[in-house]
Amino acid sequence: MREDFERLLERLVHASVLERVAISVAALLTAILLGGVLVFVSGAFATCRAGLDLAGATFCYNPMQVYYELFLGALGHPLEGGWELHNYNLATTLRQTTLLIFAGLSVAVAFRAGLFNIGTQGQLVVGGLTTAVTVLFAASYLPGGFVGTVLLVPIGVLAGAVGGGFYGAIPGALKAYAGANEVITTIMLNFIAVGVTSTLLSWRFQDPASDNPQTRAIPEYAEIPNLPLVGFSPRMNFSLLALGFAIALIVGIAWLLARTAFGYELRTTGVQPAAAAYGGVDEKRMTVASMTLSGALGGIAGAFWVLMEHGRWLENVPDIGFDGIAVSILAGNNPLGVGAAAFLFGVLDSGASSINTATDVPPELVGILSGTIILFVAMPEFFRMIGRRYVDVEEPEPARSTGGEVDD
Amino acid sequence: MTGTDAAASDVRTDEELAVHLDGITKRFPGVVANDDVDLRVERGNVHALLGENGAGKTTLMNVLYGLYGPTEGRVIVDGQERSFDRPRDAIDAGVGMIHQHFMLVETMTVAENIALGNEPKKWGGLAVDRARIDREIRDLCDRYGFDVDPSATVAELSVGARQRVEILKTLYRGADVLIFDEPTAVLTPQEVEDLYGVFEALTERGKTIIFITHKLGEATHAADGVTVLRDGRAVASVEPTETTREELAELMVGREVLLEADSDPVKTGDPVLATADVTVEDDRGVKVVSGIDLEVRAGEVVGIAGVDGNGQSELIEAITGLRTPDGGTVRFDGEDVTDWSRRRRIEGGMAHVPEDRHEQGLVMPFDLVENAVLGSQRSARFARNGRIDWADVRDHAEDVIETYDVRPPTADADAESFSGGNQQKFVVGRELERDPELVVATHPTRGVDIGSTEFIHERLLDLRREGKAVLVVSSNLDEVQALSDRLAVIYEGEFVAVTDPDDVTEEELGLLMAGERPDEGTQPARAGGADANANAGGER
Repeated sequence: MREDFERLLERLVHASVLERVAISVAALLTAILLGGVLVFVSGAFATCRAGLDLAGATFCYNPMQVYYELFLGALGHPLEGGWELHNYNLATTLRQTTLLIFAGLSVAVAFRAGLFNIGTQGQLVVGGLTTAVTVLFAASYLPGGFVGTVLLVPIGVLAGAVGGGFYGAIPGALKAYAGANEVITTIMLNFIAVGVTSTLLSWRFQDPASDNPQTRAIPEYAEIPNLPLVGFSPRMNFSLLALGFAIALIVGIAWLLARTAFGYELRTTGVQPAAAAYGGVDEKRMTVASMTLSGALGGIAGAFWVLMEHGRWLENVPDIGFDGIAVSILAGNNPLGVGAAAFLFGVLDSGASSINTATDVPPELVGILSGTIILFVAMPEFFRMIGRRYVDVEEPEPARSTGGEVDD
Repeated sequence: MTGTDAAASDVRTDEELAVHLDGITKRFPGVVANDDVDLRVERGNVHALLGENGAGKTTLMNVLYGLYGPTEGRVIVDGQERSFDRPRDAIDAGVGMIHQHFMLVETMTVAENIALGNEPKKWGGLAVDRARIDREIRDLCDRYGFDVDPSATVAELSVGARQRVEILKTLYRGADVLIFDEPTAVLTPQEVEDLYGVFEALTERGKTIIFITHKLGEATHAADGVTVLRDGRAVASVEPTETTREELAELMVGREVLLEADSDPVKTGDPVLATADVTVEDDRGVKVVSGIDLEVRAGEVVGIAGVDGNGQSELIEAITGLRTPDGGTVRFDGEDVTDWSRRRRIEGGMAHVPEDRHEQGLVMPFDLVENAVLGSQRSARFARNGRIDWADVRDHAEDVIETYDVRPPTADADAESFSGGNQQKFVVGRELERDPELVVATHPTRGVDIGSTEFIHERLLDLRREGKAVLVVSSNLDEVQALSDRLAVIYEGEFVAVTDPDDVTEEELGLLMAGERPDEGTQPARAGGADANANAGGER
């Protein structure tokens, strides 16, 4: 039994890229099948006017319809008449994808350095407020219109990165110089972020014209601009430029990790700190640097949440940072995988609201459905992570049959 | 059956052989680890399985021990053909294995470890019969002349004693055939002698021993029969009395081998490395290195011999910048580098073959290309503006692989997939090809086959000839004696002697390493290195 399990793990660890893709697809299909059964059976316990009568029970929910809404609803029902590419549902999906890419990259970078940054949420909160306040302040000194956009958007993103980076550097320094576990400190700093920003808001930055806890709105020209002709409408709160920037950042981070000395040192520190120290890496500085980079990416997520979605900072920040953890794990902490994982989360998120509008299936059940899918898709990678520890112990002694003779 | 009634010799079958492996072939995806190997081991004999790293020794024994099934061939134990699906089957058939890395629970007692998984029960299976375990272990100890206290905690025991616990564990399970995987790798010279004594005691009682080794001396000294493996094939089966070490070496490597590293005297230059009164304390404030003075000159090899754990690791870490000493100074090329970072020392020309290749020398999940740049990731040779030139690094990795005969010769495989000896070759190659001023090598040939050992020794002596400074730390006395111009023996954080290696015998060195104060020939040397050097005649 145990040996069979180990054999399975070994198989998983040594799976090729193609096999891994096949495994992921199989996992997705299995999850959909299981979720479908779950939805269908749950329908027997609900009350409804019209349903499928079978074996004396009435099954209220149609799994096919649920999945139709989940996946195609997230894209704005492309198979129905009157479909336009620039629809609201697709905008919601892609907006969520964009924000989750930043948050996922934030978590992934820390993971690769061997650090579990649960503080992306707090870094996002702080970065977002820094962005809003900086843009509001800078806007009063800068011209409006196109020039304002060109100046204020980069300033806003940079401000978010600086704010988040600073807030990520704190747990990094605490770990490096005081030995404080980053998991604990980042969790605590998440609460502190909420408290501090809320205090700052009521102290100075509250929008006087509103009862909601929020800052004043930034000028419209300081929001992420929409592309003419191919872009989405401004009222959909999504810009292709933002998605483009997110994808560029994916490539950039992947390049940084794979090609640069810094990335090499970061990865080495993540998998084998002793080898990194031997190779001349200052582990303390690396801890601070990677947490700062991770925090900056979380801050950028906050910046785009402000500059693209709301045009102001709100006290009630959604859990994008926490979802980033799931995105990163699903992606195996690989920057390139973060894009795909974020898109899946975006679809599940936006599809869920589509289900709510179109069917009677309760949101809790939709949550279970999404959870099942995420769980199934993430499990193979998860077992690969575990399996690597297991399998290495029993590596066969690699004999040489291919090696050249010694005497040549 | 329990271990106490395991005398199988009175029911002899027609076959005199305890173990007969007949035409064993074992294939792994892409490699043939064993190719039609025959192995015949007579009952009551000590049989050595001799071969270089990756020759297929461990794989063959894992087949016998039931860890792998053979692709082809038959396993015959005690005249009966067997098919082992798992180690448990092999144990039931009387085949036990003592692994290189002991599988003991340190916090438990000797008795608990020995009985683990085979506890005799009492009260209808509700409780462990501890009295019986103790009695049986004492019986075993008496029979084989072991001095082991069953109630001692394993954590308190020396390495040699732990090995005896492993042997007892195997005997307790009723093994008649005992397989040892590189049993001497972790032992001091004295402990090795003790182990040979254990071999004798076991074979006198009719047990059969097979041990895996790549050391010629062990095979000729301790074995009644030797089977040599090369490239997965059994190339010869000989009796050690009928052959010479040179012949065996040739069989192993497939060509003639120079067994003695040749170190003719070279004129030494200025000191490249000089430590003064270096002191290192451990976490509890205990001095593990107490005031060591050490000098390595250009064109000189200095050896440090000592049993592991006597402060040599900490001393080397202080020299190479992996640890800040608690006192004293380290000078490198005339400059005080005590406060220099590790990176600065690397860039200054300090190469280091670390003690622990698994933790330090190699990044296990990285391939050899990525490992080839470890330590040079910011050097001008491979990096431009913080960007690593991977094509360049790959060329370098392939050079090292070819020059140092790393097998299989693929730069794209992860470091963890190589056998220990090949990993070591790669680390040594990377460090020696750094064009260093000073090489600090800890166990440079640990686990490496003799063909490559010879090459590494030659490369170290080449560097010496080129006027570089070399510091070698090893518990392998042959190695430090052969290479060094001066040899320091470290015991409990101090140099107990600094001597010319040609003036001492291996026995004397072994005693020095064990903390025995020298009586004649070499004089004791206290912390003051100056008089130690003068006495040894190393200072010219």
